[in-house]
Amino acid sequence: MAELYVKPGNQEKGWNDPPQFSYGLQVSGSGKRTLLNKRVPAPLQDPPAVPSGQSLSSSTPPKMPPAGSTSSIGPPPIGQITTPLRTDNSKPSSSQRESEVPVDVKDILAPLHKILQACKDVIKKQVFLDIGRRLATLEEMWSSGKLSSPVQRRMVLLVKELESQHWNSADEIHRSLMVDHVNEVSQWMVGVKRLIAEARNLPHGEASAKDEAATENTDSVQQDT
Amino acid sequence: MATYLEFIQQNEERDGVRFSWNVWPSSRLEATRMVVPLGCLFTPLKERPDLPPVQYEPVLCTRPTCKAVLNPLCQVDYRAKLWACNFCFQRNQFPPTYAGISEVNQPAELMPQFSTIEYIVQRGPQTPLIFLYVVDTCLEEEDLQALKESLQMSLSLLPPDALVGLITFGRMVQVHELNCDGISKSYVFRGTKDLTAKQIQDMLGLSKPAAPVQQGRPMQPQEQPFLSSRFLQPVHKIDMNLTDLLGELQRDPWPVPQGKRPLRSTGVALSIAVGLLEGTLPNTGARIMLFTGGPPTQGPGMVVGDELKTPIRSWHDIEKDNARFMKKATKHYEGLANRCAANGHCIDIYACALDQTGLLEMKCCSNLTGGQIVIGDSFNTSLFKQTFQRVFSKDLNGEFKMAFGANLEVKTSRELKLSGAIGPCVSLNVKSPCISENELGVGGTCQWKICSLDPTTTLAIYFEVVNQHNAPIPQGGRGAVQFVTQYQHSSTQKRIRVTTIARNWADAQTQLQHIEAAFDQEAAAVLMARLGVYRAETEEGPDVLRWLDRQLIRLCQKFGQYNKDDPTSFRLSDSFSLYPQFMFHLRRSPFLQVFNNSPDESSYYRHHFARQDLTQSLIMIQPILYSYSFYGPPEPVLLDSSSILPDRILLMDTFFQIVIYLGETIAQWRKAGYQDMPEYENFKHLLQAPLDDAQEILTSRFPMPRYINTEHGGSQARFLLSKVNPSQTHNNLYNWGQESGAPILTDDVSLQVFMDHLKKLAVSTAS
Repeated sequence: MAELYVKPGNQEKGWNDPPQFSYGLQVSGSGKRTLLNKRVPAPLQDPPAVPSGQSLSSSTPPKMPPAGSTSSIGPPPIGQITTPLRTDNSKPSSSQRESEVPVDVKDILAPLHKILQACKDVIKKQVFLDIGRRLATLEEMWSSGKLSSPVQRRMVLLVKELESQHWNSADEIHRSLMVDHVNEVSQWMVGVKRLIAEARNLPHGEASAKDEAATENTDSVQQDT
Repeated sequence: MATYLEFIQQNEERDGVRFSWNVWPSSRLEATRMVVPLGCLFTPLKERPDLPPVQYEPVLCTRPTCKAVLNPLCQVDYRAKLWACNFCFQRNQFPPTYAGISEVNQPAELMPQFSTIEYIVQRGPQTPLIFLYVVDTCLEEEDLQALKESLQMSLSLLPPDALVGLITFGRMVQVHELNCDGISKSYVFRGTKDLTAKQIQDMLGLSKPAAPVQQGRPMQPQEQPFLSSRFLQPVHKIDMNLTDLLGELQRDPWPVPQGKRPLRSTGVALSIAVGLLEGTLPNTGARIMLFTGGPPTQGPGMVVGDELKTPIRSWHDIEKDNARFMKKATKHYEGLANRCAANGHCIDIYACALDQTGLLEMKCCSNLTGGQIVIGDSFNTSLFKQTFQRVFSKDLNGEFKMAFGANLEVKTSRELKLSGAIGPCVSLNVKSPCISENELGVGGTCQWKICSLDPTTTLAIYFEVVNQHNAPIPQGGRGAVQFVTQYQHSSTQKRIRVTTIARNWADAQTQLQHIEAAFDQEAAAVLMARLGVYRAETEEGPDVLRWLDRQLIRLCQKFGQYNKDDPTSFRLSDSFSLYPQFMFHLRRSPFLQVFNNSPDESSYYRHHFARQDLTQSLIMIQPILYSYSFYGPPEPVLLDSSSILPDRILLMDTFFQIVIYLGETIAQWRKAGYQDMPEYENFKHLLQAPLDDAQEILTSRFPMPRYINTEHGGSQARFLLSKVNPSQTHNNLYNWGQESGAPILTDDVSLQVFMDHLKKLAVSTAS
């Protein structure tokens, strides 16, 4: 659901800044594949008269083309991979090139406003106005093209989840947007966040809470594969 | 039978404990001759997804001086419904609720697989977590913007019912009132004058708590207002207003003249934060999170004056006793840290600046309270942003990986006593019969407080064997230790985790080989290193190195096999084979060497070294080096210049840095673009493999390490070259063969020379 990508760090501001992982990668990154924590004891008994790769002889097959002189480097051994060195399942997903049908901002805002109206009686007027104001900001930024397509795409998803009353997954999308695109969404997203929270507390939300838990479990399983 | 390696690993996974010795010498005299003290690395909240907590109170031994928790080592009389405490041998009645127990119907805490068990107890009111942001506004525009966004983002990651508050500071300190009516108000304090907790509370109008706290039932969100003051409000209520408030934060408006530092009142800001929580919510889980972009320059706790021409203190200044503000500032922050620890709150420091920010003076705030320290170059880096996000990461059950207000109590069987603990804790000064007179680390108590901890937080705990030589322990006797950790879970539940372990005693004169085989050299190295670093913080540096050397020589004398005065005959058994090289790398590490590090950096490195678990600590002592080649799967190689070969890619993990280094040939192949040719797909994969492994480390490590991608001859190769053992240098250039690694330009002693000396000293009859 959330996008999986790695962006380079900010090399200008921080020396050797690490790459930036998207929220989706951070959340799913807990499953450890390889533990690189082995060590080799230094050869203690025979102080190497020729301290060299010899102590590693077990790991140094002689097949290597001579690589001494820098001018005449042979090519690397030819070959398609026989045994993959790593299974790569955390590659940037190719979902970038999903069908880019422009979304009408009305399709996003109409359901949000509908939920806002539904909550009107249970929330304070101040909060009601505040959420409304933020939705207006969203509309304004969207129509003036200030929102990137990943944000737009994920908002479509978020609204879809909201409409089907999957509060947790809507909340999760909101979180992924805040983490990955805070500079675009910080001003108005908090309104959407509050809307999710308020809608969750509406009486009709309670009825469907149980089914939701069930569907979400399957969701997350699919997401992992 | 399982090997000791498997035994050690199982114990770590199940109980979060690693002992230096896993068979214990049975007398005081023999124990002191083992050189490495009996101790353990204990991870109180070790992640145990397979361990469901039980929903009742632990059963305690009725002897008032014991109160050990019922555990699988206790002898049980199922007929009479009695159990005998394995620590004090008191016979106890089971409580009435246990009437139905029998051999086949045991409560969980008696089953051997529950040597670690967690209880959820209902005790006192549940209080929401508290996050108080203390934000420096003397930042560059770009930095402040990035920080504001990170803080706004964090509101989405916090638990919705957590209380959050905001203090900003520059020349003045502002405590912001949070409310929903859209008008922002704040209380402004001068940054030059320290205030007592009482004064702060009076000025903020907090002197009278609004209402007594209701007892004993789970709190509903609607009941919260009595807890929150105007300065601390539930996230779900004020997230919109706080987002705006953060968005509107401006840089400190006071002009900074040419040649001056901005006036930054960090000392007073922290003092107000501590006072605010002290008054309103003592003994509840709370984090004070300080975000700062430079050193404190005025008021109590100032570390440097505002004249730019006077640089901030260096190690050189400190040695020459020329660091004017250091002692006074340290005293200020230690006072705050101790108050904060007494209240059960913690202080995190996020310091992002190119120069030093005064961590040396402020480190106690985090070290004594279990808070985090993170340093970076700028708030607008992925290093800071992602590290900060990870503070709020969750475990497999969707719970935050943070816990608060832990009280760790250690109980021992009578042949053992407690010498002390080293880690992010403070003493609770609780006396008990099991306290040793010989202190190691923070001693003189059987209880420690850890105000904030996570699943990796690890304490080193040191013991002393006190059994006298002439009072032998019966054959097959076992010694036991119980760790009782009471804490506030991130779900705000009170929980108690109990771990009870036992180890065999052995007579060191007749069964030395058993003791030797059960030596855990990794645990021993980290336990000795923590002692060394602890001493380096309190004593002079070179003395610590000499002490470590002496201990190593004595250990080799005791456990090496050799003919007297014949160094070539020296042998160490497998269970000791890595220990000398751990010590070699420890001597070179930034935890004991301050050369090339600022006082702030040293403080930072030592901070993390004193709290990480064994695996991470060991990576810090001796970085991990893996080699990638066409000849097989990636393999660990010696951290040695001989491992730097032209046709290899190296991945080095030093905990704080991840380095990928392409050997000379590999780098040329890449330059020639072989990776883009379909027939050399394997080369492309070879290049990718270390990147993938590095990514794995990067996504899981806290704090985020720096990431260095370099190649043979690259200037950044220095990060690798400075860590490997310089087995080949310009001095022995002509001794080494054609294809054997890279010479290092250094006069440092190599591991080989170190080992030669060690052997000579170990076998010498003179010493």
